[in-house]
Amino acid sequence: MNNAFLSIESHPDSLIVNVKGQWIFDEVLALEEAVAGVLPEPGQKVTFKCAGLDNIDIAGAWVLYDCTEQLSVLEIESELVGFKAAHFKFLQHIIDVAAIREYEEPDSEPEPRHLIREKVELFGGAMSTHIEDLGAIARSILDGVRRPSLIIIGETIKQVYYTGVQAIPVVVVITFLIGIVTAHQAAGQLEKFGATVLVVDLVSISITREMGVLLAAVMVAGRSGSAFAASLGVMKLNEEVDAMRVLGLNPNQMLVIPRILGLVIALPVLTIFADIAGIAGGALIAVGSLGISGLQFVERVAFSTDLSDFYVGLVKAPVFALLIAMIGTLRGMQVRFSAEELGLKTTMAVVQSIFMIIVADALFATLFTRMGI
Amino acid sequence: MMETVIEVRDLVNSFGDQVVHDGLCLDVRRDEILGVVGGSGSGKSVLLRSILGLQKPKSGTITVLGQKIEYHQPGPSRCWGVLFQAGALLSGLTVQQNVELPIALHSDMPVETRHELASLKLLMVGLSLSVADKYPSELSGGMKKRVSLARALALEPKILFLDEPTAGLDPIGATAFDELITYLQGNLDLTVVMITHDVDSLFNTCHRIAVLVDGKVKIGTVEEILQSDHPWIKSYFGVPRAQRARLAI
Repeated sequence: MNNAFLSIESHPDSLIVNVKGQWIFDEVLALEEAVAGVLPEPGQKVTFKCAGLDNIDIAGAWVLYDCTEQLSVLEIESELVGFKAAHFKFLQHIIDVAAIREYEEPDSEPEPRHLIREKVELFGGAMSTHIEDLGAIARSILDGVRRPSLIIIGETIKQVYYTGVQAIPVVVVITFLIGIVTAHQAAGQLEKFGATVLVVDLVSISITREMGVLLAAVMVAGRSGSAFAASLGVMKLNEEVDAMRVLGLNPNQMLVIPRILGLVIALPVLTIFADIAGIAGGALIAVGSLGISGLQFVERVAFSTDLSDFYVGLVKAPVFALLIAMIGTLRGMQVRFSAEELGLKTTMAVVQSIFMIIVADALFATLFTRMGI
Repeated sequence: MMETVIEVRDLVNSFGDQVVHDGLCLDVRRDEILGVVGGSGSGKSVLLRSILGLQKPKSGTITVLGQKIEYHQPGPSRCWGVLFQAGALLSGLTVQQNVELPIALHSDMPVETRHELASLKLLMVGLSLSVADKYPSELSGGMKKRVSLARALALEPKILFLDEPTAGLDPIGATAFDELITYLQGNLDLTVVMITHDVDSLFNTCHRIAVLVDGKVKIGTVEEILQSDHPWIKSYFGVPRAQRARLAI
């Protein structure tokens, strides 16, 4: 048998394998196929001769070594002859390294009983760290309230700017558009009953009670919840949080509290902007295409929408803000090891905070209906 | 023997008003260990990043193994391995996967072969296979460097770049790492370019030393560099720790 890498001569008591060509990394696949063709008869001794070997590297040497190993498992003797020093160096290296390897025992598989116990322990551990983290944050809130420092106030103002002021344009635009959409959809249905003017009622009540605050909160969860988790996570990975702790600073107080406070201030304000923009969107459609005059629109809004509707929306904002900020910062602080975990926790922060916002909104809706507001 | 593998010609790099490299020329010969030293801000890392095509130089040409390096173009990545200062292991992958990744991306060999080759590389850098399933965050600094070295060696490179390989290691670990580099260089026909501040590794490991001063390179054997009368080089090798290291060889 002959190919680019081997030529084999069979004698009664020996098999001469002439190794030639390029025994390098790129050819490993072909080399393995070639080596599989070395099939000595029982009793034959295999001799690898380095006849025309051009190049060999670690990968090529390994294929050759692996072949001799497999032959020795079959109790067939093999030897390497006539290798140039430069080429044999690689083979010797592999043989040396392989000697270390044989010395090492493979790990035994853990028993399934232990696996279950490990899982339970892992779950318990995770739960206790969650509770611990939450407790630490709650305690630092108390500490922060008792001894407010200038740094925290400054940082809080910064957070209000990042999470609130910078979010105004996008929140205004989306609620304005949703106002337009709501008005259009309502007009299509209400026109059939000749009650077009009720579009105004529908828009203003739905925006102030539900849509305004909900859209603002979802937007903020996407913007700031992820930002909280990511920035705190990177700080954890860079050991910045540990550095703070060693300097005697409480990272919860320095990092978590300003973000929570900042968002609790920012989201209600954003909600007011959202309400105004949403109603303005409705007004555009009502005045522009439904033939309701501007004065009529204002009158209708004042008639249909109580201040309590507005409060019902607004009162939810700080609660949503608390949820977003707590989940975002908690997830960020939980990042421990890797960049991948950072991504995972950031995703969790956003998904869980939006989920919790909707759950909380449903609870509020039930509560307010019971209360008759 | 005097074949040049890396050729840097008239390299100019500057950031704002600060000129880092001012017409720098450097030749790296085949099968040598070249140590690169220089003060903070003298542009050691910038030089390395320029050679690797990670940074666009203001002007100048760089040729590695006859291939011209262009910024952000795929360079001869099959022919070089890089050990970054902090290891730069992918934190979401295990040690084994970290080493296997370049092999998987650059070849079509079967999974078992790839696995075997990666294990081999781990053993070559002196790691036990019990670390194979660990994540980088579970390793010590020295082990991370070794894993990173195994990854750099995964594709059988001809040139190995090391950015401060012994920084952050204790003297025992640093000496062992230096010995490993010398051993691998001798066994694998590697050309090694090593940025280092460790005077012990400079004297014990490097065949030649390139000193970055005034935006240019002064290159020579240890003896030649020691005889230089450039004030920075004099003070660099004149400090007590350098003197001690010199006496130790």
